[in-house]
Amino acid sequence: MAKPPGGASDSRLELEADAAATAVYDEVQDDRAGGSGGSAGPGGSGASGVSFSALRNRLRLPPTFRRPMAIIGMSIIVLWFLVAIFVPWIAPYDPLAQQFDRLQAPNAVNWFGTDSLGRDVLSRTLYGARISLPLALILVVASAIIGSVLGAVAGYFGRAVDEIIMRFSDLVFAFPTIILAMIVTAALGPSLTNAVIALLLVSWPSYARVMRSMVLGARSREYVVAGRLLGFSPFTSLRRDILPNVAAPVLVLATLDFGNAILLLSGLSFLGLGATPPTPEWGAMVADGVQQFSDWWLAAFPGLAIFTVVVAFNLVGDALRDSLDPRTAGAVQGVKI
Amino acid sequence: MRIFNSGAGSTRAGLRITGLVAIGLASVLVVAGCTDNSQSTSSTSAADKTLVIDKSFDLKTSDPARAFELTGSIVDKAIYETVLDFDGSDVTKVQPGIATFEENADNTVLTLTMTGTHTFSDGSPVTADDIVFSLQRVQGIAGNPSFLLDGVTVAKTSDTTVTLTSATSNPALPFILPNPSLGILNSKVLMANGGTTGADDQAEAFLNKTSAGSGPYQLESYDVTTKVAFALNPNYAGDKPAYGRVVLENVEGPTQKINVQAGSTQIALDLNADQVQGMDSSVKITKNASPYLIYSWYNQDPAVSGGVTDNADFVKAVRQGIDYSKLLSIAGEGSTQPGGMVPSMFLGAIESDPANVFDLDKAKASLAASGYSGQPVTFSYPNDITVNGLQMQTPAEAIQSQLKDVGITLTLAPSPISTFLDAFRAGTLQSGIMYWGPDYPDPADYLVFNPGESLGKRAGWAAGSDPTVTAAADAAAAASGDDARKTAYEAWQNAANASGPFIPVIQPGQYAVSTSEITQLDLNPVWTVDIADIK
Repeated sequence: MAKPPGGASDSRLELEADAAATAVYDEVQDDRAGGSGGSAGPGGSGASGVSFSALRNRLRLPPTFRRPMAIIGMSIIVLWFLVAIFVPWIAPYDPLAQQFDRLQAPNAVNWFGTDSLGRDVLSRTLYGARISLPLALILVVASAIIGSVLGAVAGYFGRAVDEIIMRFSDLVFAFPTIILAMIVTAALGPSLTNAVIALLLVSWPSYARVMRSMVLGARSREYVVAGRLLGFSPFTSLRRDILPNVAAPVLVLATLDFGNAILLLSGLSFLGLGATPPTPEWGAMVADGVQQFSDWWLAAFPGLAIFTVVVAFNLVGDALRDSLDPRTAGAVQGVKI
Repeated sequence: MRIFNSGAGSTRAGLRITGLVAIGLASVLVVAGCTDNSQSTSSTSAADKTLVIDKSFDLKTSDPARAFELTGSIVDKAIYETVLDFDGSDVTKVQPGIATFEENADNTVLTLTMTGTHTFSDGSPVTADDIVFSLQRVQGIAGNPSFLLDGVTVAKTSDTTVTLTSATSNPALPFILPNPSLGILNSKVLMANGGTTGADDQAEAFLNKTSAGSGPYQLESYDVTTKVAFALNPNYAGDKPAYGRVVLENVEGPTQKINVQAGSTQIALDLNADQVQGMDSSVKITKNASPYLIYSWYNQDPAVSGGVTDNADFVKAVRQGIDYSKLLSIAGEGSTQPGGMVPSMFLGAIESDPANVFDLDKAKASLAASGYSGQPVTFSYPNDITVNGLQMQTPAEAIQSQLKDVGITLTLAPSPISTFLDAFRAGTLQSGIMYWGPDYPDPADYLVFNPGESLGKRAGWAAGSDPTVTAAADAAAAASGDDARKTAYEAWQNAANASGPFIPVIQPGQYAVSTSEITQLDLNPVWTVDIADIK
């Protein structure tokens, strides 16, 4: 087999190989064994070419992320997570120290200017990543787990359990997310913990719905029925047979939701219901900036931080969805259907 | 124009451009003409002009017997008349309102004699019965402004005279009576709508829809969160105001700046020093020393204090740990640090007090003496209002940072003003920062910051808990004559600074920004602005 003319058609090669017969099957097996050098397969240049491309394949990003938008999104996310981890070494000043002249425009000392109390906006924006990213992660993971479990239970057991859980999720869906979250935080008192609890309460139902519909489709499959006949308990069946087959869409939803979670958290802080001062939270910083319209840098930089993170997660989420959606998966894999 | 014409005709392209320019100019002229027309029609019928005022609301009710907020005073001043009055921004001389007054020698009996004609918005005349009803209603409801008439007995002595008898000497009473909370209501209309002179009064909802007053305006629409609109009171007995309709909008400072610069609002009342600095010359800036006092309190009630804020040495450490000069620089030009609780422009104000001076070392020593061991202290403040354009959050964050240097951990607890006020008035907040607007321009107004008094109780300062301060306050209240009162009030403030739970922090500067259309605008320490006086 000839070396593919361009890198992008590597996957096509694989598909052709799959479609072809046994000799190629050997090569693939060989690949899976992990050995390319000294392989016992058919010798000659053809064999080493395939092995080389297989190695390249292994080192490269999965096809899902091998698209410009996804790469941009991933880079931004990785960058922000690095900032969140290493911010004490990156940030030029203490984000809480009121040590500079007030309301200075961006300059050589304070690249993003200073706020109304003389704090460095750059340091505060960078430290903001430490607040927003982990909380958004906790929020998304927790709501995905809660929503998925409830949705799976509802879909698997059906009847009354289904009705109760899904009507409850309809109830939550009936209210605009941010309004319901505002009510909950207003009742619990403003703090980031309460904001996360409030958003958790309003964000699980979308996972429950997706999970329920997937489980409804999967529960009557032969392998599930077979598992039950072997004596699996409902929860073993859900965990071992159903979950691996329905996890992908929930993963996509969670990725797409991450940006949304950051936006909602910032929104609550903006309204004074999330972070309490002087926490350098992006939403709260934008709220401060709104009080001083003419000093644009107060709101612009934390706003830009929110913007980049949210857009980055949406790009990655879109890429994931495209690759997992059967209608667009072909395009991602490089095969036109 | 001529330059374009001279170039015209040289080429076809040139012609086309000239044509475009001509069409553009023509349309601009037409639009300008239209604008001109509309402006001239609006200025011809002066009484139909609408005045838009931007204010950051702290409004709870428009019922004068219950309202006691800055915005409530603006609203009530416009729709109710008071028995006595002030002229413009001069609060040193009491003017006649519905009545003139006379006091007896020992300042215990004040006689009001009704003057001229005053009519309510329904056309009925204001009577002595209305005065008695309105003042007794304030006392009976026992709402926030009821303390204004504490110890005063209101009685009708004839169809035109009413006497106010005080149990003790009450030299401040003439300065109290112009307060908009003591506005005169139409007693017949009110009684028909659930109004009484007791705690069973049910007229608040009615008064939030309909104004039953004799002031220059009446309520057109009323919404505590968005705006209050006023229409002329057709039966008002005084001079007709310059504006036929007034809209008081709830707008935050930064938006006020944009609005007044764009001309969509004529007056902005909540701009701070930072915002005023960047204004262009098309607007007028009225600067005054502000009578509003931002103070910090530390609850003395052992059930609320957490064993920290009721410690005298702890409060002392806070007094010495606040960097007042830094707060002044944050509050901007025009702000001052009051020496005591009485604002700088009133009788009896003290310039400075050795207790309220920043000294980090002394503060640390005081903190060590208090036995404070780092437990967090909840520091509450309203986060949705501005005092003369200064966000309460700004000094709160600054104080938190300054006290951190001393070794005190403050946990900021912002909340909306309505939630905040309920908790604050119940005396359940451990510490925090709040403002006080004067009810009448007299130091007697500040005696509420005493043990067992209304504000004292909010800080858990129970009656009898501080005999020294109480004695000084009693002496100040009883003093007669300007010199004696001045000395007594100064002594009281020194005593309160030495052991009290209140720390006077800052008096922000006061700015009002108006468009060139406004020719007369007076800032008054009691009611901020009298809408009817704006020209």
